[in-house]
Amino acid sequence: MKSREQEYKEIFIAEALEYFDALNRLISELEKRPQDDQVLAEIFRMLHNLKANAKAIGYLQISDLSHKLETAFGLIRNKELSFSDEVVGVLFDGIDMLGELIGNIDGEFPVEPDQVLLRNLDIIVDSLSDSTIELAKVQKFSTSRNLTLSDLIYIQIRKLDHLMNLVGELIIDRDRILSLSRELDHDELKQVSSHLYRITEELQYSVMDARLVSIGTLFNKFPRVVRDIANAEKKEVDLELSGQDIQIDRNILQIMTDSLLHLVRNAITHGIEKPAEREKSGKPKTGNLELSARSDRESVVITLADDGKGIDLKKVRSAAVQQRMVSADVAEDLPDSEVFSFLFEPGFSMAKEVTEFSGRGVGLDVVKNAIDSIGGRIRVESEKGKGTTFTLQLPTSIAVKGALLFEVDSIFYAIPLIHTDSVVALDKDELHEVSDVLVADIKGETVTVVYLHELLNTGEPNMRLGDKTRLQGQVQNIIIVSYNNRKLGLIVDKLYRQQDIVVKPLSKPLDSIDLYGGVTLLGTGKVCLVLDVPAITKYFISKR
Amino acid sequence: MKRILIVDDSFYMRTMLKNMLTDAGYEIVGEAPNGQTALELAKETKPDLITLDVILPDNTGLDVLKGIKAEQPDMRVIIVSAVGQEVIVNEAMEYGALSYIVKPFSEEKVLEVVKKALEE
Repeated sequence: MKSREQEYKEIFIAEALEYFDALNRLISELEKRPQDDQVLAEIFRMLHNLKANAKAIGYLQISDLSHKLETAFGLIRNKELSFSDEVVGVLFDGIDMLGELIGNIDGEFPVEPDQVLLRNLDIIVDSLSDSTIELAKVQKFSTSRNLTLSDLIYIQIRKLDHLMNLVGELIIDRDRILSLSRELDHDELKQVSSHLYRITEELQYSVMDARLVSIGTLFNKFPRVVRDIANAEKKEVDLELSGQDIQIDRNILQIMTDSLLHLVRNAITHGIEKPAEREKSGKPKTGNLELSARSDRESVVITLADDGKGIDLKKVRSAAVQQRMVSADVAEDLPDSEVFSFLFEPGFSMAKEVTEFSGRGVGLDVVKNAIDSIGGRIRVESEKGKGTTFTLQLPTSIAVKGALLFEVDSIFYAIPLIHTDSVVALDKDELHEVSDVLVADIKGETVTVVYLHELLNTGEPNMRLGDKTRLQGQVQNIIIVSYNNRKLGLIVDKLYRQQDIVVKPLSKPLDSIDLYGGVTLLGTGKVCLVLDVPAITKYFISKR
Repeated sequence: MKRILIVDDSFYMRTMLKNMLTDAGYEIVGEAPNGQTALELAKETKPDLITLDVILPDNTGLDVLKGIKAEQPDMRVIIVSAVGQEVIVNEAMEYGALSYIVKPFSEEKVLEVVKKALEE
């Protein structure tokens, strides 16, 4: 049992981190529109709550610092203090310090507020007119900070992981019971197991749902990050965010955090030009960076677009040749799309110099690996002089699926158990050629049977789905799948076992083939294609 | 059992108030994080008493107070404020708030103010 003190503390920290993120976003906005009363009111409200909550729980350093900041913003709101560069600097430092204090509540070593910073805050608060007192330089805590997600879910994510795994196992047993009930043909058991099916299905979706967070929890950290990098690079950048409400699995978002940060850094450092350079090429002085998210069926698509100088394909070609990834004459003939793919090769780099924020030898291959690891996809489009767009397609959820494994022509395949009805072995003589398909009588029902070897390996002009002579061997193993009340028999070479698998979307070029719903890795490390039963059923119908 | 609606934009504050009040035997009929929800819940739940934070994200606590009083003139409302908001509190009292609590508050103070307000 959690003590009430512990509960209060966790709530305080989670809420304080939310306020901290929001404050960073708001103060970046305020810097652009110093007269925005609504933004000021929001800042004021958050500092106010932070102060009151911290005082209530007894974190006096946080409440004191919030109070000083609140006072400063109060003066700005009453136009008694101007929002000058110097003042902005001190306020940013103050908010950073707040973040440090909040982040270290549970830390091993207590953090003390920086005395210089506190004095600076006192100076800007006390000297109402333009101050002649020098503001002392505050030692920066860290310029290239790591982003951490606040735990908006008040449950340890590993507990949800555990829950998810248990659901996975439950699903396997459920399906076993379901098929047993059919084998035994016991009405009551059938009824109970179909109820069990619905309950576990709902349970699975509920657990998946509990792991979802809005993508804004990450996006809202970027206004501040962009401001800091742009300042260091002496560039002007406007960041546009959209789709913050889109929901995504928290672990997927966690894995993507560093990648997105990397892409944003790249966009500002290498993409967007310095103001003078932009004006010279007829662009607005301020660069534009768009970070957006949207839902696309089963996945979340994150797009990062800049209007910078774009990727110079010629330079990529020559860098690839220089780094011995391809020979000069081959590089010349490569299509543009393949040239872009060099960007994701391990060790590939186009950075001539190492700046504070980019070009540290961490290339796009790291980003690609992160995305691969969760079964996502990344694509880049770029036009020289116009800008670059990265598109990340990510699964909404890390879903566990029970599947039946089998082999066709020495390749492993899986069919999600949800679509598997039963498995039968039939003699070749029990299969009948009817027009251009094979049919069989299975438990009194006439079912169309497809020879997978033929369907998966033979090109369309030569495909003979109704030709029994193409079958190998006498006894045929058939998996009966069902989709939308339609049964289909699939002849396979060899049947293996049931196993819970994590399905990942296919990467190119297989993604254009509709028969596969994804891919999974077997315990042995072998790649296994997951058949998309709805698609295969539809495909087969179209064949007929 | 007396029924109370809590209006505060901070989850932390709401949780503290809720715990203090439920421990003392009151029923919490709702929690509103903003003015809009506060007005809806006040109408919907018809509580015996409302604790009202004066700074809310969408409108000020004063507007919410006026809105509630316009619909339910006899509603008992206690203002929850912080040091430095005396002007708003005074104004709220003029608009019909019964009493006020200043953050950070002690459990005794909250229960005392609530008990007294409910007796009126």
